Amino acid sequence: MSENTDDRVSRRRYEREKAARAEAEALLEAKSRDLFLANQKLEKYSTDLEQAVLERTAEVRLALERTEAASAARSRFLATMSHEIRTPLGGLLGMIDLLEMDEREPEKLELLNYAKTAGIGLSKIVNDVLDFSKMEAGVFLFEEENVDIRALIESVKILATSHETGSDRQIVTKVSDSVPKLFLGDATRIRQVVSNFVSNAIRYSFDGPIIIKATTKGDADNTILRLEVEDFGVGIDADGISNLFKDFTQISNPLTAAAQGAGLGLAICKRIINGVGGEISVESTLGEGSTFWFEIEIETVDMIDATGSDGASSDPKLPPEVIHGTRVLIAEDNTINQKLLLTYADRMGLIADLAENGSVALQKFAPGKYDLILMDIAMPVMDGLEATRRIRDKWEQDQIPPILALTAHVMDAIEDEAEQVGIDRILSKPIPFQDLKSAIEDVVAGGLKSGLQEARTSAKPRKAKAQPETGDARSLMDLMAPDVHKHLVDMFGLDGLSDFAEKFLLDSSNRIAKLIAANENGDAAEVNAQAHSLKGAALALGFPDMADWAKKIELGETEKEDMTVRETAEKFSAKLTELSAILKH
Amino acid sequence: MKGVVFVELLKMAEDAFGENAVDSVIDKADLENGGAFTTVGNYPCSELVKIVVAFSEHSGLSPEVLQIKFGHWMMGFFIEHYPEFFKDKTSAFALLESVDQEIHVEVRKLYPDAELPRFDTMRHSDSHLTMVYSSPRPLDSFCQGLIEACLLHFGEEGEIARTLDPTTENTITFDVTTTA
Repeated sequence: MSENTDDRVSRRRYEREKAARAEAEALLEAKSRDLFLANQKLEKYSTDLEQAVLERTAEVRLALERTEAASAARSRFLATMSHEIRTPLGGLLGMIDLLEMDEREPEKLELLNYAKTAGIGLSKIVNDVLDFSKMEAGVFLFEEENVDIRALIESVKILATSHETGSDRQIVTKVSDSVPKLFLGDATRIRQVVSNFVSNAIRYSFDGPIIIKATTKGDADNTILRLEVEDFGVGIDADGISNLFKDFTQISNPLTAAAQGAGLGLAICKRIINGVGGEISVESTLGEGSTFWFEIEIETVDMIDATGSDGASSDPKLPPEVIHGTRVLIAEDNTINQKLLLTYADRMGLIADLAENGSVALQKFAPGKYDLILMDIAMPVMDGLEATRRIRDKWEQDQIPPILALTAHVMDAIEDEAEQVGIDRILSKPIPFQDLKSAIEDVVAGGLKSGLQEARTSAKPRKAKAQPETGDARSLMDLMAPDVHKHLVDMFGLDGLSDFAEKFLLDSSNRIAKLIAANENGDAAEVNAQAHSLKGAALALGFPDMADWAKKIELGETEKEDMTVRETAEKFSAKLTELSAILKH
Repeated sequence: MKGVVFVELLKMAEDAFGENAVDSVIDKADLENGGAFTTVGNYPCSELVKIVVAFSEHSGLSPEVLQIKFGHWMMGFFIEHYPEFFKDKTSAFALLESVDQEIHVEVRKLYPDAELPRFDTMRHSDSHLTMVYSSPRPLDSFCQGLIEACLLHFGEEGEIARTLDPTTENTITFDVTTTA
């Protein structure tokens, strides 16, 4: 049959192939459908997944925002509360100051002293909490200024031993020669840490010396300052050490039953030191004592290079004008602060006029009417910044007297704005009488610009201040604590300082003679009185040795260093002779 | 069982016995789909057995001999259509060892539902390999044909001994010993 020839296929075979093809096509369609469905499913998964991710992200973001808001609210609450507490506390402390000035009865003075100590303690805690909340809020700024660590340690030491708890303790300082005389750093914060170490050392030990040691390591380009404070007190066990630098923790102190402070001190220290890129820690053995230390990188200030680079501040300033009779406009809304400032002003012999808010101050002000304006910042109706801005807008520069701002605000927060509106100097509330007086003397004497700089603790690096060139002043500086020296030169000028020193020499020689005579005659009260005066005068002029000896005589503690009152007094005299030689030079 | 096996079996039969013979054998075999197989389809193994038996009756050759011949045919098909599996192999043992590890892996990518037999291999020496074939399908001779063709492809000679595992069902052991 023809269909069976080689080039033709059978019908049956053809039907088979057709059926096979139909099956293959059906399979292909089924596969395509499966594929389509699978794709659809996959797309749905993908969309669902994206949706899920979006939802989850939104949830997480919301949670984060809530957490951040809660955290910010907490920080704000802490800051506000501290601020709110600080203001009335300042009032309280000021009132105590005023009462103390008038009070003559020893019993009441003692009570006032207790009230003051308690108030200062509270104020310290509030400041700690405020510092801490500033750190939490990330607005804690570090300044860069010249730091004289020797003077800084000395002042911490004097402060610590001037407190009742530390008065009988021996504090030994060992500053290695390798430590530069001046370096750039935040003196206030370093002082805070050192002072915290020292007060802890006093609190957690009952006898034995406290050793403050400063050393450096590394080379000139990379100098590390290490500061240690060692005590021989109760010590800390390993568990305690691990918790020590945490917030709100305190180790139990067998020496005092009650806890003191908020347990924030070391946590703040840690944040400060870590904030400047340093390290802080402690080595301690239970029952043997502790050595707290920190290490920070420092940049040495080259004193020779810096000489003359900042001529303005080395210009001798006029001696302070008598502020008596200065006409001052006080803008302050808080009645307690009004009372405080008016009383202060009265005591300084100022002629004060009060404005209860910025708007009233603006109305009251007229050129030539006042020599000075004390301006509170936060006031109803018109705040101090706005009032200052309007005064500056309305009147010519030379018609406006110096404007001092008084604020309980965090200084960093208003510093820029205050400078912008033309506030000459910011003073932080609560301001002690003496500080306010110095500040007013300072601006009235025309020391405005440097005053502003000092109060603002400028964030810009300040190279070393030019050192005084005259021979006698330089030698005088050798005897004096450097920070006090700087302060006095800033305030009185070099000539003024020399005058001041001469007065001191005259007065103290007189007094030491009286002291020695009284000692011979067994007149303990007179010895005590003279020693007290000598101590005050020596402290004021920044002669730490003399202040120390006078204090020992006053407290009857000369035998601690195996010396009699007479021997100690003679040492004092010898130092006076040294001073006399320098002044005659 | 994959359609390609059916399509190739019928091709071999056409080649050996002619199209007319195939037509009539398919008629007699009483297949479910009348012998209309496509390579992409799947068909029961029993259909394959039916075809083999029908050709055995037609030709007088035993089903085992036909399976062996079909094994040779399929190896030829693989070599022609899937040269990539042979490219890197230098010996029959190497290819046999790659069946489970490489070839079946590729098969599964295209046909996830394929029911594949298992081929466990154990090489005792360069000239001795044991291959254990586990499958519910009675296609031992087909396997033998594939192994033989594989040896031939690599130009090797040897013996293939087949042992039924007495303990495990559906398991046959091939001992391959090469002599060349």
